[in-house]
Amino acid sequence: MKPVRKNKDGWQYHLNQGEGDCLRSLLQQFPISPNAHAKISKTDADPKTVEREKLLNESLAEHRKELKKQATNLLDPGKFKRGEKGYVLALNLEEREILLQILNDIRIGSWHVLGEPEELEPETAPQTEKEVVFYSLMNLAGYFEAAFLHASGGDPQSGHD
Amino acid sequence: MPSVLEPITIPKPTVRKETRSKNRFAPTYYVVCWNDPVNLMVYVTHVFMKLFGWERQKAEKHMMEVHEKGKSVLVREGAEKAEFYVHQLQNYKLQATMEPAE
Repeated sequence: MKPVRKNKDGWQYHLNQGEGDCLRSLLQQFPISPNAHAKISKTDADPKTVEREKLLNESLAEHRKELKKQATNLLDPGKFKRGEKGYVLALNLEEREILLQILNDIRIGSWHVLGEPEELEPETAPQTEKEVVFYSLMNLAGYFEAAFLHASGGDPQSGHD
Repeated sequence: MPSVLEPITIPKPTVRKETRSKNRFAPTYYVVCWNDPVNLMVYVTHVFMKLFGWERQKAEKHMMEVHEKGKSVLVREGAEKAEFYVHQLQNYKLQATMEPAE
């Protein structure tokens, strides 16, 4: 994958046929796992913490619903354009952040399904179909996260990553 | 109708000290990011730069602290802003919490 154009509005990435098909298939998997309960504090015993935690979990659930919509939008043929030698994906700054969040949600979700292993590269080959599937999803999501961050090279408006 | 030469008394501005003292005692919180084995280092660095507007060097320093020490205190803020940052960090699937600052 490589960026073919960068301007003040964002980037255009070129993905070869295999990369494009793989990313499209990956985005269709979102969300991998149901909403997990998130903690807002590890130590705070303040009664307000309960209310804050409830708000956090409601907000995260809403956010994931929005990400699901955005994942569908990213797959739109007008956005994810098929060309002769693969695909061209145009993303503005906000869309790139959404894509990164979706990919990382897939990565973390797969890790949860695998039982949250400390070692991400198992010593033996995955034994079950479930392990094969979710190790693959976790690694593919990580590959695309790193590839997009590397290919973007920085914020098109500020010059920073 | 008063004459134009009539002296005008301008009231002295009052200094409201109570607002400052009230804020001084408002509780503050540390926004803490905790280590996990799955988030990529490059991704964590990116999120810190994005959310806090940090330069890469500072973001990488905090990312390495999370990686090597298990956690990093990212900022110290009032309740509302600390809560905002925890929501944002968790939207990116980083393990972040707000802990009372003593």
